[in-house]
Formats: sequence, structure tokens, C-alpha cells
Amino acid sequence: MSHVTPVPGTSPSVGAQLPTTTTGVAGRSALSLDDIAQRITVRFPAVRAEQAFGELTLHVEPDDLLEVVTFCRDDDELSCELLSDLSGVHWPAGEHTIARQTSTTGWPDYRVSREQGVVEVLYILRSVSRNHHFRISAGTVDTSPRLPSVTGVYPTANFHEREVYDFFGVEFDGHPDLTRILMPDDWVGHPHRKDYPLGGIDIPYKNDKFIPPPHERDLREVID
Amino acid sequence: MAIDPTAAHTATPAATPPATAADLDDDIYVEGADWESVVDAVSDDHITVNMGPQHPSTHGVLRLVLDLDGETVTRLTPIVGYLHTGIEKNTEVRTWVQGTTFVTRMDYLSPFFNEAAFCLATEKLLGIEVPERAEVVRVILLEFNRIASHLVWLATGGMELGSTTVMEFGFREREHVLDLFEAQSGLRMNHAYIRPGGLAQDVTDDFLERSAALVDLLTERMRDYEDLLVENPIWHARLKNVGHIDADTCLRLGVTGPVLRAAGVPWDLRKAQPYSGYERYEFEVPTRTEGDSFARFLIRLEEMRQSMHIIRQALELLPGGPVMVDDKRIAWPSQQSLGADGIGNDPDYIRHIMGESMEALINHFKLVTQGFTVPPGQVYVPVESPRGELGYAVTSIGTNKPYRVHVRAPSFVNLQAADVMARGQGVADVVVVVASLDPVMGDVDR
Amino acid sequence: MGLEEKLPSGILLTNVERIVNYTRANSLWPATFGLACCAIEMMASGGPRHDMARFGMEVFRASPRQADLMIVAGRVSNKMAPVLRRIYDQMSDPKWVLSMGVCATSGGMFNNYALVQGVDHVVPVDMYVPGCPPRPEMLLDGILKLHEKIKHETFAEQGARA
Ligand code: SF4
Repeated sequence: MSHVTPVPGTSPSVGAQLPTTTTGVAGRSALSLDDIAQRITVRFPAVRAEQAFGELTLHVEPDDLLEVVTFCRDDDELSCELLSDLSGVHWPAGEHTIARQTSTTGWPDYRVSREQGVVEVLYILRSVSRNHHFRISAGTVDTSPRLPSVTGVYPTANFHEREVYDFFGVEFDGHPDLTRILMPDDWVGHPHRKDYPLGGIDIPYKNDKFIPPPHERDLREVID
Repeated sequence: MAIDPTAAHTATPAATPPATAADLDDDIYVEGADWESVVDAVSDDHITVNMGPQHPSTHGVLRLVLDLDGETVTRLTPIVGYLHTGIEKNTEVRTWVQGTTFVTRMDYLSPFFNEAAFCLATEKLLGIEVPERAEVVRVILLEFNRIASHLVWLATGGMELGSTTVMEFGFREREHVLDLFEAQSGLRMNHAYIRPGGLAQDVTDDFLERSAALVDLLTERMRDYEDLLVENPIWHARLKNVGHIDADTCLRLGVTGPVLRAAGVPWDLRKAQPYSGYERYEFEVPTRTEGDSFARFLIRLEEMRQSMHIIRQALELLPGGPVMVDDKRIAWPSQQSLGADGIGNDPDYIRHIMGESMEALINHFKLVTQGFTVPPGQVYVPVESPRGELGYAVTSIGTNKPYRVHVRAPSFVNLQAADVMARGQGVADVVVVVASLDPVMGDVDR
Repeated sequence: MGLEEKLPSGILLTNVERIVNYTRANSLWPATFGLACCAIEMMASGGPRHDMARFGMEVFRASPRQADLMIVAGRVSNKMAPVLRRIYDQMSDPKWVLSMGVCATSGGMFNNYALVQGVDHVVPVDMYVPGCPPRPEMLLDGILKLHEKIKHETFAEQGARA
């Protein structure tokens, strides 16, 4: 089911550390991005840290994901109590070229070729008590995307992961109820993948007569 | 029981499979108008009731499946997606400027917040700073929007509790705020007024006086709400100790905004990670410790007052100057304004591009038809919307269109807490619980 | 359909028609079908400034059984379409549908996989109100035009529509 039950004892009690002032930020100072990167890469040498636009991204292998995320939550320095966001980006396989835009601001051509398509899942971890946040990125092949679920670490990931499953087809192992969330249950395809067209889906309702398409019919029967 | 008559038909939703095999045996399928048979069939008073998606008190098209033990809710399952619009995908085929037009329609009660967050993300990728005047105007509009949004929350929340007066109050004042928005942007809602690089156009000449008068009016009217509600015994009876949630649970479930602050955590992104120059203003982040619906009501009232405080400071601060970056590659070249003839042309500019400079014409043409390109990269920009952390995770590959825009919608995340908040409460309290979360379905489903 | 079916065919009923249509048009009870941004404007039309009560329609009915006008205010997704049709079917005859905003009318700016490209694919529509969102005044104008339309409908036309 889609309901969320917070799992007692799975996350450290943050309430005690939280400030009671109204300044918004905890008394404890935020870590700099370098410190965060260092702290995690020392512990997990396989993690690759990258900084751009004043944001930190940690590229994590899917196998390490759960461990890294749990570490970020439980570590006293990082103390990320909040999973702010979880989203997907699809990078399809093949040659992709978008020639230099004949537009007013000229950034270089976009030219990539990938042997394997990738669905990249981005986690934004945030520390409320220390006021810093950073991004964890985990990639998975787009033909059979599969990642461990972080719902055990952050129950809030429940809806997020269902959304990413809905839109990108990523199977999250260990998710309590991995069903579609925004699209109808019987929808075919994962609409936010790049190989899914923007529109062009036949409208199953014509001339004000409700004729459900075959794959929808038994749903209707149950409802009636 | 507060059950929509239409709901009886879909008492056991087909879309939600029962949780366990044991549940399956207990399921009783209900047709219309046979409550008697249900009561006979159900021995232990356990019943699953569908509420919505078309129910007057579910804030739009939210569907809730309630597991009831008598009158007590044992589980609440929100089912969302009835308003899924595919806005995120649509922005991928439009230019960055057109993107604002789409995102503003997500959370339609706080359109400026969507625009601002999207534009802040774009500006972060572009590496540009917007002029100070644009920043201050943004803050003023954002805070007015926060007030308007909380007013609608008060109105709809009041209506759901049967208080029509509150609803009339809320909509009455909101109209005044919308008048101001309309004068500046041309639209009452869905403005697309904040653009990457600044604002679509400068504010009107009487903006200062109008805003100041509006703040005064709102301050006065705020007293009405307080007089009517804060000590109101019915309001207390309906809201106090209903929908309780504590800080730990909030953070685990990702709940932010007034709900988190009502549980005692002074977390406000305007303070924690100031954007748009919020560090310049003095304001307080109200918190309460009760964590129930009444605390959330008080928090929102106080937030409105703080917003007015910010607006007053911003009005004093409002500097002159341009409202769009001085970068001809990004800003639209002509600053058009409505002429006396009702046509928004700028004769001097037209003479320039048509008669004097071919390059300027080409530049204008490209900028308008193709837009500008944005350097490749990924950013996540959160702002504090009236409902909590509204984050834009934007990916660019260096073209004139976003590669992917993902919205961290506060309503979507907060809705997960409805289950925890409603358990053990009566059916009638479910309405209060959902209202006090203030989900906007456009934000939930996007 | 109600009254019309009880009448023998071929009888001239101009005055009866007029009086029946007059009553129908002047107490049109809308079913709330607020879907998105337009719904907020619909609520604003019921609010104090625009005050739909002036036209005898302030009672927004939660139950489709008690309503005879469905204002489809906002974008209709593929997931919502069966529900919408279902609610329409539950409304008792005679009934009218008003499509509010470009999204309900044609899908509007969201020409994509998620939305039904026009609610007239699902239910028959009597009046379209353009705009994104239509101002409350526009909605009221659309409703008044619908009143006119109802007043001039003959029983035969109504029967054909049902
Ligand atoms: S027509 Fe415009 S205002 Fe109405 S629902 Fe569609 S996007 Fe929203």
C-alpha cells in the first residue's frame, strides 16, 4: 500500500538537537562542500565527488547507495535528516548531436554517444540541523533499471520512488509498494523517458461515448 | 458520517490492491444504496471507504481511501495523479523563457513561487545576477502571493469546516491582492511575470502606493480573522489536538513548511539559505510546539503578518533602475510599455531594428523565436513556498531548452504525512487533517 | 428525461416549454468539478466580489444527483476522464456541461500524453469559455449565455441531446 509508516528506530532522533531559536538554522555550522566530499570519499573511496555551480554531486555505484545514504544520515557531522528530493533523468543510448544553436548565447555543441542508456537518479540530502545539502547521483542502465530503495532509511522516499518508477521505470528493490502513482494504473510505458513521445497517444474516448480500450475494461468492471 | 454519497459506489477501489491476503478475505464490495447490507455483512465494523476524487472537501481531486474501524480511521491512503498534467515533460520541448509559462501553472495558488524558483535555477545555470530592483519587486510579489495563498487556505479550510464567513473573508481579501497582481502582470493568476534575468516588465508607477495601501488594508483585516477564529470555541473544538505530528516524524516523512514549523522546528529556507536578497529583511520564523492543526493555523496567521512586515521593508528599499539583466543575449531587447493608444510598441526601437541595424533585427528575431542557450549542468534550487520546500532540479545540456525539469513539490511530499496524522482520528477529522496540510493538487500531480 | 417523456408527441407546447425552461435556467445548480487553476477562479466567482448568487446559482452541489450543470473547470487528465464521465452519468436529466478554460476545451497549452485534449471527447459540452484562466466575469458571461440557450431550447432538442 502507498501509506507510510515511519519505522521507529531507523533514524536518529533529531528533535533533541534542533534549536529552539527562530533564526532558522541550528547552532551547529554547516560543513563546506569540500568537507562533505572529503568526509564521504574517505569513508567510501569509490565515490566520485564533483562540484559545479556551487553544488556538490557525489556519484555513487548502485551497490554502495544504501550504505552511503545511511552513512550520511547517521554520521554526526553530516547528519542529513531530510531527503529533500529524489528525481530521475534519462540519458538514452546512441549518438546524440545537437548542433551549436544559432542562438544569441553560443555555448558549444552538444555531442555525446553512449553505448548504454542510463537512468540517473538524483537524491538531494539535506541537514536541517547543520544547514547544508548535497546531491547523490546513482546511475542504472535504462533497459532494466534497478536500484535499491532508500525507503528504509528515509520513509519520505516512498512517493518519490513511486514517481520515478512511474516516469522512468526504475525498479526500487525493497520498496514497500512500488506502483504507479501519477499515471493511471494500467498505463503502458514510462512517459518521462526520452524515448517516450510528448504526446501522440490516442485518446480513448470518442464522440462522447465512453468506450474503454481493452486493457482498461476489467478495471471498469470492478468499479461498477 | 461525512461520506460523499457518490463514494458508496466505489467503496473498495479497484486501483488499490488490498494489503494482505487476510484483508482480501474481508473485502466486501458495495454497490450503491445498500448500506444496510454492508452493516449486516461487516461483523467487526471494519470498512474501507473511498473519499473522492470528486469530493467537496478534498481540496480538488484528491482521493483518499480510508480504512475505518467504526468511526475511527485506522489507515489513510492518499491516491493522487488525477490532475497529472505532464508539465515537467512539456518544459523539455519549450525554451527557457517559455518554461516560466508552464511552471506557473503547477501550484496555481502560489504561481510566483514556481516562476521564481524556475528562474533562480535558470539564472544559476547562466551565472547571472538579476538587477536589484527586480529582486526587490520579486520579494514583494512573493510575499503578497504567500498571503494570498494562505488566504485561500483559510477560505477553503473554513468552508470545509462549514464556516462560510471565513470563506467569504478569505476570497474577499484575496481579490485585492489579485488586483495588484493583475495591474503588474496583466493576469490574475498564472502570471509568467518573473522571467529568467529579471521581470517581464517594470512595475506600474503607482505600485508603491497601491502596495502600501494593500498592506494597510490586509493588516486591518487580519484582525477580523483573529477576532473571529483565535478564541472561537468551535474552531478550537475542530482543530485542537487533531492531526498531530511531531518533528521527528515530519523530517522522516520529508514534511516541510508550516507543518514542520508547527511541530517546533524553525526551518525556513528564506533564513537558512537566503535567495533573492532575503537576508536583507528582518522577519521572524514563527514556531509552535503543539504540532496539531490549530498550531498550523496560528503559524499561517503569523506568517501572513511576517510577510506584511517584509513587504513594508521591501517597499522602503525599492530602488530604481532596470528590472532585467543588462545582457543583450538574454534580455529581450526592447522594453515595451503600453502606449496611450493601447498598443505596446516602442517606436524608437522599431525604427532602430527596421531601419538602422540589421544585426539588431537578427538578434531580436533569434532571441524571440529560439531563445537563449544555457550552459550544461545540473542545479537544485529550493525556495520556501507557502507549503514548504519547493525545489527545482533542472538539468541543462547547453541547448535552448531544458533537458529535464523536476519539481520537488511540497504538497506531494507533505501528503505522505496525512496517514500518520489521521490515524486514530474520526472520519470528520480527516477533512481537517487534509485541510491543515494545505495540499494543492496542481502541485501534487504536476 | 423527465417531464418531456410524459407528454404526447406532436402537441404544441410553446408556453409550457417557456415556463419550464424559465425555471430551469434560473435555478441552475452547478456540480463542483474543480480540477485546477480554473477551479480557483470558479470559487472566486462564487465569492463576495463576483457573487454568483445573483443568478441563482450559488449552491454548488457536492452530489451530482442534485446538480444540473457541470462546470468542468480545469485540465482533465486521462486518469480523471473515466471519473468525469461517471459523474456526468450520475447527474439527472436534463443536464448541461460548461467547459471552463482552454485546458478543458482543447487541452490548451498542454498538448501531451497526460491530458485529454478537450473534455468534449468525454462528455457533450454546451458552452465553452475561453481563457487561461477565464476571469470570473467571463465565467459569468458564459453561464448567462447558457441560461439564454436553455431558455430557447425546445423539448425536442433537449430530448435529442439526452
Ligand atoms: S485553462 Fe489555464 S487556468 Fe484553466 S486549468 Fe488550464 S492552465 Fe489552469
